[in-house]
Amino acid sequence: MTIVRRSEGRVFLTPLVGFLLLFLGFPAIINLVYSVSTVTFETLRAPTVSGFGNYLAVLADRDFWRATSFSLRFGLLTAIAECLLGLFLAVFLAPLLTKRPVLMAPLMLPLMVAPAMVGLMYRLVLHEFAGPVPYYLFEWFGDSPAFLDINNAFWTLSVVEILQWTPFAFLLFYMAYVAVPNDIREAAALDGASGWKVLWLIELPLMLPTLVIAFFIRFIDGFRVFDNVYALTGSGAGGSTMSLSIYIYQAFFKQGAIGKAVAASVVLFLASLAALYILNWLAGRRRRS
Amino acid sequence: MTSNRTCLSALAMLLASVSLPTTSNATVTVLGWPGGSEETALRAAVETYNGTSGLADADKVELLFFNREGFYDKLQADMAAGSTAFDINLVATYSIGRYAPYMEPIDLGSEAEKTFGDAVLKTMQFAGKQYGVPTDLSLHFMYYRKDLMDALMQDEAGKTKYAEISQQFLGKALQPKDPDSWTWDDWAATSLYFSKQVNSESPVRYGTVLQMKNLLFNMMVFQSLPRAYGGDWTDQDGNVTVDSNAYRTGLELYKTLYDAGASPKDSLSYEYPETNAAFSSGQAATALQWNAAAADLTNPETSPAIAGVTGIVAPPAGPNGRADHIHGLGLGMNKNAKNKEGATRFLKWLATEEAALAYARSGGSPALVPEVVAKVAEARPDLVKLGAFASKYGYVMNGATSANALSIYELQAKEFTGYWSGQQSLDEALANTRSGMQTLLKK
Repeated sequence: MTIVRRSEGRVFLTPLVGFLLLFLGFPAIINLVYSVSTVTFETLRAPTVSGFGNYLAVLADRDFWRATSFSLRFGLLTAIAECLLGLFLAVFLAPLLTKRPVLMAPLMLPLMVAPAMVGLMYRLVLHEFAGPVPYYLFEWFGDSPAFLDINNAFWTLSVVEILQWTPFAFLLFYMAYVAVPNDIREAAALDGASGWKVLWLIELPLMLPTLVIAFFIRFIDGFRVFDNVYALTGSGAGGSTMSLSIYIYQAFFKQGAIGKAVAASVVLFLASLAALYILNWLAGRRRRS
Repeated sequence: MTSNRTCLSALAMLLASVSLPTTSNATVTVLGWPGGSEETALRAAVETYNGTSGLADADKVELLFFNREGFYDKLQADMAAGSTAFDINLVATYSIGRYAPYMEPIDLGSEAEKTFGDAVLKTMQFAGKQYGVPTDLSLHFMYYRKDLMDALMQDEAGKTKYAEISQQFLGKALQPKDPDSWTWDDWAATSLYFSKQVNSESPVRYGTVLQMKNLLFNMMVFQSLPRAYGGDWTDQDGNVTVDSNAYRTGLELYKTLYDAGASPKDSLSYEYPETNAAFSSGQAATALQWNAAAADLTNPETSPAIAGVTGIVAPPAGPNGRADHIHGLGLGMNKNAKNKEGATRFLKWLATEEAALAYARSGGSPALVPEVVAKVAEARPDLVKLGAFASKYGYVMNGATSANALSIYELQAKEFTGYWSGQQSLDEALANTRSGMQTLLKK
């Protein structure tokens, strides 16, 4: 028996298809056109097609590669740190949280704050004359480091990101951890396996898909970082904390180089697509083997 | 039958969802400059205007603010897209050329000239047309601690130390002077003397607070230093001259002070609010800061540690005298405004003496003619200085009103902060700036 007829299905699908075409398809086509055009804010509606000069300009731009390097380092470092910390907390706090699930709420609080607000908050917290952290460092040690100078900005930004997003990894890992059937753990214990062996040989392999997914979600989020970095340091002294998202934003708005900015976003899209394809291929090969 | 009813229901829901957002808005919406004394003053002025007897509901003013970060970029995107979200928008001297195509010129009437004077009205003109009401004139004051300077002038041992420090860092033995007769070297020597890292006996932690974040507004603060040494963006023929000795001297002086510890270690992330916080904490002897900060820094409620001992002078002098970078903010009409009549009525009111005084009393910084500013001189002595400094030392760099002026400030911010932070040499920074400016000024 058919619950919904094909014609009715089409009616209900039309808004979704329309939405996708309008909000994803149309901008994608416009982006492709702009990326091979000479275009300014005054000529947004009448760009002049001019070939692949924008792509060449992006690939020859030292700042593009510098921003790519920043985003890669930032994405990798924060994703690894968040996953390790999140995993530790999930395993360490699991017995407590099973008995007192209400404690989960305060642990999730950092996720509720918008990243831009987190940036502004730390701008205040780390300010030498208004922030509590430098205040107590001066009180106790007579000095405070420059959290946002050229040598420390990358590490400060990474810590801020890790503090905000570790709860996300923790949440996923905790759910995966408690989903491991207890009878397997009990069977292993009866066989004399130590707690470490249970974790290493039973729990972690069962949690592996969640670990991989969480790592990639956090890497993607770290790689495309914008809000908190922009609020804290902007693009940094001499562009030292410029992520790829900030590079594209600045090329678009600050320099008015719309074609170049869009070309950079297309390059980024193609690189992401290639990475995802390779990962998908590797995962498929692993499944087959 | 059931199928038809389902289809009709879906269609009705779709139509309802499309028609809901078309509710009209009959007020005048003003997009203002957010987060500073300008916002406070505009809110107060609008409250006065909305309380005017006989003002129709449709002409009442609503305010709209978004973040300062990227304000001009968002504004450009909105206006280029033909936004009708606001009837009146912010405009600045250095961006009139960029926004004029999306704005409508206005006739402010004869009272505007009696309130602001012709010179100030010109800061809101482009191609001979008036595009805005000049609500705030921004320039820079040198704020200093009177108590520290007075004590230094009486301290013979301090003077000897001062001479030693200036000899060591600046290559010349200087003596303390009254701040109103400072050269940039005198200011630098004072900043070094009052820094704990240089002089462990300093009563404050830092001699100055430099705004060195990679931000275009910080470049406006910096420009008066090279300008006092004769610096300019271009010569009369339009050739870029940013790699001059004047810029070299200014950039090197900032770096000397930063490297010596005369300014907080995080100065490379400092802008307006950080500088205010540092100076008002009582731990800095001087600060070159926007005039808008005067209201806060001299108010015992907002700056209890330093309000009574804060002195204000114009930026120091160089071989070419004193220079003070002027930057006007104003409000003008969006070409796509929905309520042009209401917007015109509000803008004309804003250009009257009544509105300008209300704006000034609430913390705004309009540049007013002497007869008008005299009426608020007691409450706002800084406005008297504002007018005096603007007329004596105010300047605009060659090419700084071109369509890409803001992009040039952005470029300088990136390259100069790259030098100050030690990521590139002075030669590289100036060569990159020169090359970028040549491209931007050609566009």
